[in-house]
Amino acid sequence: MKIPEYPKLIVAGALCGALLSGTAALSLADQDAPSGQDAAASETPDPRLLAQGKRLYILCQACHATEADPGDKIGPHLAGIVNRPVASAEGSVYSDALRAEDFVWSEENLDLWLQRPADMVPGTSMSFAGLPGEELRRSLIAYLGTL
Amino acid sequence: MSVRRRQVLKGALSLSALSLSYPLLKPTSGFAAEKTTAIVIGGGLSGLNCALLLSEFAIDVILLEGSNRVGGRARTADGVETRPEYGASEVGRSYARAIDLCSRLDVRLLPDTRSLLPMSNYVDGTWVRSADWADSPVNRMSDDEREMPPIMVGMGLLGRLNPLKNLDDWLSPEFAAYDISMRELFLNNGVSDAALKLAAVPMDLRMTSSLGMMQERTRTMFDANFGRTQTQAADTPFGLAATREEGEETFPVRTIEGGTSRLPEAIAAALGDRVRLGKVVADIDMSGPDAEVRCLDGSRYRADFVVSAMPFTTLRNISVSPGFTGPQAEAVLTLGYRGTTRAWGVVEKPYWEDDGLEPSFFTDETIQTVVVLDKIPGEDTHRCSVIFTGPSSARIDQLPDDQALALIESEIARIRPSTKGKIRFVDLYGWRKNPLIQGCRHLFRPGQISRFAREMIVPHHRLHFAGEHTRRMDFGMEAALESGERAAFEILQSA
Repeated sequence: MKIPEYPKLIVAGALCGALLSGTAALSLADQDAPSGQDAAASETPDPRLLAQGKRLYILCQACHATEADPGDKIGPHLAGIVNRPVASAEGSVYSDALRAEDFVWSEENLDLWLQRPADMVPGTSMSFAGLPGEELRRSLIAYLGTL
Repeated sequence: MSVRRRQVLKGALSLSALSLSYPLLKPTSGFAAEKTTAIVIGGGLSGLNCALLLSEFAIDVILLEGSNRVGGRARTADGVETRPEYGASEVGRSYARAIDLCSRLDVRLLPDTRSLLPMSNYVDGTWVRSADWADSPVNRMSDDEREMPPIMVGMGLLGRLNPLKNLDDWLSPEFAAYDISMRELFLNNGVSDAALKLAAVPMDLRMTSSLGMMQERTRTMFDANFGRTQTQAADTPFGLAATREEGEETFPVRTIEGGTSRLPEAIAAALGDRVRLGKVVADIDMSGPDAEVRCLDGSRYRADFVVSAMPFTTLRNISVSPGFTGPQAEAVLTLGYRGTTRAWGVVEKPYWEDDGLEPSFFTDETIQTVVVLDKIPGEDTHRCSVIFTGPSSARIDQLPDDQALALIESEIARIRPSTKGKIRFVDLYGWRKNPLIQGCRHLFRPGQISRFAREMIVPHHRLHFAGEHTRRMDFGMEAALESGERAAFEILQSA
């Protein structure tokens, strides 16, 4: 698989942690409002984008821990996932198909993956149908960038 | 105390006086509607998971369960000898949500130690040991079919013809040609009459969509191969044969310590007084500014969102306004359901030592399947169960439980005399007879996937859909949890 180059995401982790604790009240309906700067190009991701991303993480949380200890979850943890080399979390179960890949989880690759994992890497053991909607993926990836 | 009581009485009197003088109040105003953000109807694993996820996102939620217990088809018969599992029992290797919930709620998972003892066959009135089956004159299947044990013929044939690769392929119109009855699929592919006959014993081939069963087959294979480097066969009756590799530690199939019921109970405990038992819903009215759910006992609840986490067999009994239309209406009214009935017993003496046949057996007669499990460490006797699925379940369910048990006992003794007095039955349960469920699981009839599988889960006004029948990619307990997660996700997106 050919992986295109992609600019690195600069994450303001400390700020995000503070914002995320009170996100439950924030509404996804806000996504129609001007979403500020592009998270990928900004040093401070839009809090509304992150709030939306955190809510979307409900689709991920059963399999993936947000901290480096995966616990009993069946998928690899996602701490530092953005720009992490593929299939590189120690002690995690990966399909042979994913182990055979050689790329980095850039934002662009994550976006491609989240559209439909089985299309990007056939044979993956991640049973996720995909997240339609570029805006939704962008907010989820912005949230992943805070992990 | 007396003062408080007087005040309450006075309040009640003035309320009724108000009702009399203000005819605008509805006659049902004796019960004030309780207001919340989301009402989940159904306290099985799907509804519980949905309510738990919503509560974790600080959404106010009330869960209404019709029966006096939570868990639905996850139900351990506590108090019965050998503590049978009436429904779900197995936590698959890739059941991410079940495994995660157990971990979060301190419910322990144990390696599944149940192991099926070998299975003889009593077909056309003749006993055949498993090793002799392929070459037996009783086996009239064609050459490429003969190796399949009778109990596995249906799923074995289906496995050969299954074109699905991804877990959600079944929803793609590309595979609509497979949304035909299993009988039609088998006939189109030159399956022998003898194989058709055997396959029809545990499954209703005419009423079952091949595509629906292929989804399950694909999911089962996914689970069997999850985290493994070598492809595993998944041809094991009822998932009972030991499928663990020697020395394998990671992700075995597991069961829940103390019984499957401990998981729904743990979720309900986390939800606390959000869970209301004994609340059978009569109607869901979404014609006003919010949704109002009214129960048979007159209690009323109002919310911005309602989740139907009931089987469609139950939703059918509820008056919903505005009513369902189009494919969704057809789904709610006609989605197929299937029964499973089981009797559980203890083998007091190993009868197979007397007749030389294998302990478990399959038959094309009334009994269908008797499974005997290997001894559980620390126990002196073998456990057994008689399993009726599909058509054989529908037949045995026509009898009251005591008559059914008596018949099971005498039929087993008739076809296999060595069992006489050696099996002691302790319990019987048929899901079709549960009035709030009416089946052990949904089962798409031929053509139903194409007609409404995609449309049936689309939110209807304020009503969202969960339940194992609304799964997209999963199977078993995990399908219920998957659907509850999806409904919670939908609500979080619009809340």
